[in-house]
Amino acid sequence: MPQMNMVSAINDALRTAMRRDDRIVLMGEDVGKVGGVFRVTAGLFDEFGDDRVIDTPLSEGGIIGTAVGMAMYGMLPIPEIQFADFIWPAYDQIVSELAKLRYRSGGEYPAKMVIRTPVGGGIRGGHYHSQHPEAQFIHVAGLKVVCPSNPHDAKGLLLASIADPDPVLFFEPKRIYRAAKGDVPEGDYTVPLGSAAVAREGSAVTVLAYGAMLYEALDAAAKAAEQGVECEVIDLRTLWPVDIETILASVQKTGRLVVVHEAPRTCGFGAELVSLVVEKVFYHLEAPPRRVTGFDTPFPYSLEMEYLPLSHRILPAVIETARS
Amino acid sequence: MAKFEFKLPDIGEGVTEGEIVAWLVKPGDKVAQDQEMVEVMTDKATVTIGAPRAGIISALGASAGDLVPVGHVLVVFDTEGGGAATGAPAAAATPAAPAKKNEPAATAVGDIKETLPGMGLATRPSEKAAAGAPSGYHDDKPLAAPATRKLARELGVDLKRVPPSGEAGRVTREDVERFAKSGAAPVSAGPAPSASPAAAVAPARPLPPAAPVAPTATETRVPIKGVRRRIYENMARSKHTAAHFTYVDECDVTALRELRERTQRFAAEEGLKLSFLPFIVKAVVAALKKHPALNCLVDDASQEMVLRHGYDIGIAAATEAGLMVPVVRDADRLSVLELAREIQRLGEAAKDGRVQMGDLGGSSFTITSLGKLGGLFATPIVNYPEVAILGVHEMKRKPVVRGDEIVIGEVMLLSLSFDHRIIDGHVGAAFAQEIIGLLEEPDRLLVSMS
Amino acid sequence: MTTTAENPNATASGDDAVLQVLNPDGSLDPKHDPRLEPAEVLALYRHMVTTRIVDERLVALQRQGRIGFHIGSLGEEASIIGSAYAMRPKDWIFPCYREFGAALLRGMPLQRYLDNMFGNRNDPAKGRQMPDHYTYRAANWGSVSSPIGTQMSQATGFAWAAKLRKEELAALVYFGEGSTSSNEFHVAMNFAGVFKTPVVFFCRNNGWAISVPVERQTASRTFAEKGVGYGVPALRVDGNDIFAVIAATRRAVAHAAAGKGATLIESLSYRMGGHSTSDDPNAYRSKDALEPWFGRDPIARLRQHLERGGAWDDAREEALRSEIEQRFRDAAEAAEHTPPPPLESMFEDVYESPPWHLAEQRTELLTGPRAPSSHH
Repeated sequence: MPQMNMVSAINDALRTAMRRDDRIVLMGEDVGKVGGVFRVTAGLFDEFGDDRVIDTPLSEGGIIGTAVGMAMYGMLPIPEIQFADFIWPAYDQIVSELAKLRYRSGGEYPAKMVIRTPVGGGIRGGHYHSQHPEAQFIHVAGLKVVCPSNPHDAKGLLLASIADPDPVLFFEPKRIYRAAKGDVPEGDYTVPLGSAAVAREGSAVTVLAYGAMLYEALDAAAKAAEQGVECEVIDLRTLWPVDIETILASVQKTGRLVVVHEAPRTCGFGAELVSLVVEKVFYHLEAPPRRVTGFDTPFPYSLEMEYLPLSHRILPAVIETARS
Repeated sequence: MAKFEFKLPDIGEGVTEGEIVAWLVKPGDKVAQDQEMVEVMTDKATVTIGAPRAGIISALGASAGDLVPVGHVLVVFDTEGGGAATGAPAAAATPAAPAKKNEPAATAVGDIKETLPGMGLATRPSEKAAAGAPSGYHDDKPLAAPATRKLARELGVDLKRVPPSGEAGRVTREDVERFAKSGAAPVSAGPAPSASPAAAVAPARPLPPAAPVAPTATETRVPIKGVRRRIYENMARSKHTAAHFTYVDECDVTALRELRERTQRFAAEEGLKLSFLPFIVKAVVAALKKHPALNCLVDDASQEMVLRHGYDIGIAAATEAGLMVPVVRDADRLSVLELAREIQRLGEAAKDGRVQMGDLGGSSFTITSLGKLGGLFATPIVNYPEVAILGVHEMKRKPVVRGDEIVIGEVMLLSLSFDHRIIDGHVGAAFAQEIIGLLEEPDRLLVSMS
Repeated sequence: MTTTAENPNATASGDDAVLQVLNPDGSLDPKHDPRLEPAEVLALYRHMVTTRIVDERLVALQRQGRIGFHIGSLGEEASIIGSAYAMRPKDWIFPCYREFGAALLRGMPLQRYLDNMFGNRNDPAKGRQMPDHYTYRAANWGSVSSPIGTQMSQATGFAWAAKLRKEELAALVYFGEGSTSSNEFHVAMNFAGVFKTPVVFFCRNNGWAISVPVERQTASRTFAEKGVGYGVPALRVDGNDIFAVIAATRRAVAHAAAGKGATLIESLSYRMGGHSTSDDPNAYRSKDALEPWFGRDPIARLRQHLERGGAWDDAREEALRSEIEQRFRDAAEAAEHTPPPPLESMFEDVYESPPWHLAEQRTELLTGPRAPSSHH
């Protein structure tokens, strides 16, 4: 089985899907000849031509707006937003149109697409190349949101996202684009949407994480184990609809919960995860649930490593939760 | 011919009232569907409203120049076939409330209401309360995790009595288990309720067997449910919604007692016992006919008074399960004996717990017979959404001044409560006096009986 | 290519010329005459009158409180019916929200339209959208949205997809002149220009965006000249002249079919009513501004043409009106008495199949208390 990083695994998934389904078109800024600013689409322009790998004008609203029209026609566009930080000009098309079209047209216009976009900090990208805006999309009825943490899942989840009948936002954690490596099966396979993975088993504290922060959670879990605290680390993989069964089973076992995410805390996805756990397994809780997250500030440049919920912040939260 | 009422619609500009500019039809006119009927000026525009159906205009609900609220009956039609009457006739419909002008509630789309149910219900905590000590973390409220609380409940352990070993005085799971094993834990009444509010899942850890414990609980907790729950909710809603005022007066029922004695034997022939209640129901119905505003339900959601045309009288009955209010339907059409029979049937059914759903609800006025335990007077709670209730006290022999003499009379106190939002004080008083007059001179009741 | 006399929005300069076919005397300018068969002209007249009567009836229903809202097209019937008529059956239309007449022309049954007005269970949008926000795929008709201009980039993408798939068709997109101020106009025109997508941008310049007049939307002399910046050819047409509208739109379709890409049409008309039933133009528009447009009523102009050829008279007009009114009354009656959508339909079509959280919420709704019925 070939070793791949996230970039090559996603590239492989796109190539695999495009070879078998000619309705698929890639579109976005610099996705064509140059193969994307992160090289995720490298080589695809040469293989599939400029009718299927399309360099567009510099307009996120235009990319998504025209992609919605293409989807209404029956194509399967996979638009790329170069950085998730730049997605907002397309927010109206995503929220008012893409997410609602099936519903508001009584099922006549399903409008299927997968929007790929790199997310997250820790790359010295500053304010506008670092944000992790999942909550704003999870909140919108009609969208599915995915965030893989390793090459195997990245390929399998992207192929599942393409096969899924609903619009999917596919968040690629760019900090681990090249750092996360692993075996990736050749050819077509899927990692089903809506299913989390237990990345480390433990009985003391449940830690929920995803994307680049999974590795920080695993690092904190290893250090906690040295202090006798065994964490169960869950990689959510699909953020919405979230795998509630895996989460509840774990919290029923541990009675303790820590949620980790890069995005700011207030009304972040952690708020929803904590609410779900409290509503559904309140009487299993032994300690107050806790969130380790980005702070409620704009994303800072020089101090980004202080802003991110890295292992050094996860570890004390886990220990305190285990001991309270 | 059926009647159809056309009410001023909310024409989508968020207006709550309109001024009648001109009528283009008059009573007696035969109109075609969509024929122009009336020009109405709202805060934003003057519009012409066409007839929603064909028919003959039987009444107009407002005059040119009137400011009428949305929902007010504008036109009553006689239609050929179909179209049942809705609500009260135009004349008795919601009176045109004094409306405020010059408060535009503009919108390009949809319907922006000036007021909605629930508005004005928010209460601002007093500054004193806000400045007071924070609640929670109170000495008499033990600190414990949800899972520990659940365990304590399952083991019948009172957390207040468990010595805490955790941080900041927190009771831990181990504390509860130790306490239960020690035998110090008293079991509260019976086993813990099996219906756990948590999802039906296996407990995280096997629970230790409950230790035998002595039944010395300091309290027993009984869930508020069933009939009690209904009473709990209804009473609270009434008390929090209606603006109660209570009116008490006495009533010399010497003549009524004599009448009852005389007529007792007619009842006995039919195997009935004749109490005063059927007479009181008769008097109430007669008084309601004279004061229709009291035979009314208040619809807080739509801000309407629902004037009832029938006379369905609730008779409060104490039962083992709690207070119930079976209803005597169409009380105005029943004779005194028929009332006696119906009241007896309902009373027995309530007492035996056999009362049918059809005998409950839908009353527009309620009588509560306070009897021997009624005390001097009481402040009954209105059977919301009704607007009035009559409490009847025990008859007592008392000195009564008749002319210039003091004689022994049969005196009964009546305690009436009203919803002051709907019923003004003098209206309630007049209604009470009407009942008293009829009960003091029951012959009037007989001669006025329809 | 003539006059500006009929149209105060136009100036005398050649660039701003307004295409007109229907002369003031009811005759047709042979140079641009789309050469319709007499039966076609009669059918178009019938559609325009239908549009107007349905408009009038819907306003009446709204005043009677039977429907919540209507957004009408009074005065714009030629602009709307003519442009839709020029599109071929295989073409697609992306509506704004004022073009129900075009949807009926394209084959949406009057009953379905009225089902949408009442939001009942037969509504193609399943009662999920407010009145006048319908959908009708069977007639190659898009889904009406309220946010301004979103349909423009969608039409561009749709036409682009067809081009990529080598299917020859054109997509016409309706929008008001106010929408030219939106991001979407820029985005759609730009993409259409770059990728030469077969789109007809049909700008209904009716003078008003709710209360805001054209001079507050743009400093351009015309809306058509905006096409220049995107490399999209544009033309102006008398929107109250159905022959000119058809000629102009056919020209744009031919341009698209020849692989030359998009066209921007500025159709000059006038919104003679309010923005919607919730709007009263008397608050911001003088009667004097409206007055001249009564003389340019597109239906009266077409009728004059028909009468000139002896193809129309009062008796036929009366018969047509009463027939349409009866049809409307029957359909409105049926729509009004069709029940609202079932409760569980609230959770359908959010996703193809409801995930766990929607299944939970559906149970919560179905087993919970019902709202006091304020709407039905």
